[in-house]
Amino acid sequence: MKFTIPIGPQHPALKEPISLRMTVEGEVIRDADIRLGYNHRGLEKLAEQKNWIQNLYLTERICGICSHSHATCYVQGVEKLMEIEPPKRGLYIRYLVAELERIHSHLLWLGVAGHEAGFDSFFMYTWRDREVVMDLLEMISGNRVHYAINTIGGVRRDLDDGQAKKILDGLEVLKKRSEFYFKLAASEPTFVARLAGVGYLSKESAMELCAVGPTARASNVPRDVRKDDPHAVYDEVPFEVCTADSCDVLGRAVVRIKELFESFKISEFLVKNLPPGEIAVKAPKRAKPNEVLSRYEAPRGENTHYIKSNGTDKPERLKVRAPTLANYPATVEMLKNGFIADIPLIFAAIDPCICCAERTVALIEARTGEEKIVRFSDLRRLARRRDHPLVSKRNTVWPF
Amino acid sequence: MTDLDIIEKTRNRLGDKVAEIAHPAPRRIFITVEPHNLVAVVAGLKKEIGLWYLATISGVDLGDHFELLYHFGHDNGNLTIRTRIPRAQPQVESLSPVIPGSILYERELQDMFGIIINHIPDARPLVLPDGWPAENFPLRKDWTHERTPEIIPGGKK
Repeated sequence: MKFTIPIGPQHPALKEPISLRMTVEGEVIRDADIRLGYNHRGLEKLAEQKNWIQNLYLTERICGICSHSHATCYVQGVEKLMEIEPPKRGLYIRYLVAELERIHSHLLWLGVAGHEAGFDSFFMYTWRDREVVMDLLEMISGNRVHYAINTIGGVRRDLDDGQAKKILDGLEVLKKRSEFYFKLAASEPTFVARLAGVGYLSKESAMELCAVGPTARASNVPRDVRKDDPHAVYDEVPFEVCTADSCDVLGRAVVRIKELFESFKISEFLVKNLPPGEIAVKAPKRAKPNEVLSRYEAPRGENTHYIKSNGTDKPERLKVRAPTLANYPATVEMLKNGFIADIPLIFAAIDPCICCAERTVALIEARTGEEKIVRFSDLRRLARRRDHPLVSKRNTVWPF
Repeated sequence: MTDLDIIEKTRNRLGDKVAEIAHPAPRRIFITVEPHNLVAVVAGLKKEIGLWYLATISGVDLGDHFELLYHFGHDNGNLTIRTRIPRAQPQVESLSPVIPGSILYERELQDMFGIIINHIPDARPLVLPDGWPAENFPLRKDWTHERTPEIIPGGKK
């Protein structure tokens, strides 16, 4: 007997309100359907009515966790349209904030993964550490969430030596703690066994469905915009593209952990090699008629902005593609033939912005239309109790 | 594979289907094709240079034409395929047999520009709400937003 479970549109497990309908047979998901648009704000239309500098603040508000990503993607495109070159020091500070943002986003995600797997002390520890990087971001930009450090032609705030030292000290603390906690997670066999084999996405599917970011890299697709299309400072900075070949939630965790260490390395490099000079150049009000495609590797994957100018102070067209949209088809694929109890974990694996509130799922009996409410905490309890039958899970070791 | 390799391969293998190749910046290639050649060119590029990743599709309203830009990412930059379709007959073939991940972006195009995607496996609205009035395509330049008057039941007239 098949059931259809609606999840969303208003659901605390989803960052954006989307509606997913799961067709389940027993406990196994046979099909998943997706319906978006509950949070569609008409931002692309709005951008056509605002000038270049106003749009900078608009794009910053696309996302709350990776606010710097969209603003940077937009601003690096607009700078090309206006034919201005930001000073080196400004660029270094801009991408330092970008890497610190990646650290905060990945630490947040790790905590959520721990929480969804039932390892709540791990969640509390990583979120405590995340405060270190949040404080650094606040010190640099003055804000904790919307940093507003970008401006067209550079950045708005400079770094002094005292701040640079504080950043290096903070990174040192983070590095030590990260190493310790990751060893802790690795020595916890139940945690590793809970993540292994869940949400399988083969390399072929990841490529077919155009997955991006850590989701694609965990399926052994070495695609990273910072390497493929080295914008701004990334051709000077030493770093590696991190991949995993297990194609499951464990792989996605491993990729993000490796990326944390790469981000520590990049941030350190940027602070230590901060060139002297100005932080911004003056930008013109108008841009000549032209078009530009701007790409940026956000913590969740590739951001793409297509910007077309028409000679006025407003854009003709601003097209925004956020990484989460690109990962939805892949999520549907991951959910198929999975268990209901794995839904929170699979969602958490593509999207780090999950509120830890109490959640409910309404179960609709397909024949009678009768609804039953199951709390997500019950599902999680089920998830923890369930003995997973997959062979690949036996003797799984922490691959990092 | 560098930009020049890609341009040369495209010219040699698909030269008869490609109208124009532009290379405005490093790692950015713009290829212009006729709409009826679109699927063939994408299939050809997928085979020749291993183009599998469609970043997104941008639509631009140019007045009597719509411009569609298919942004592809590859190992060494970005390749955009540009095509123009008339406003009076906004129809284009679906890319989904070649690139299965294209459906979401094509559905978005249908919603926002009213472009009809032929042979799309799933043509339901994606981003617009269920009660959205027909023939209203928000990203067309002649569409302006009018806030519907709020009626409070039992409120003042």
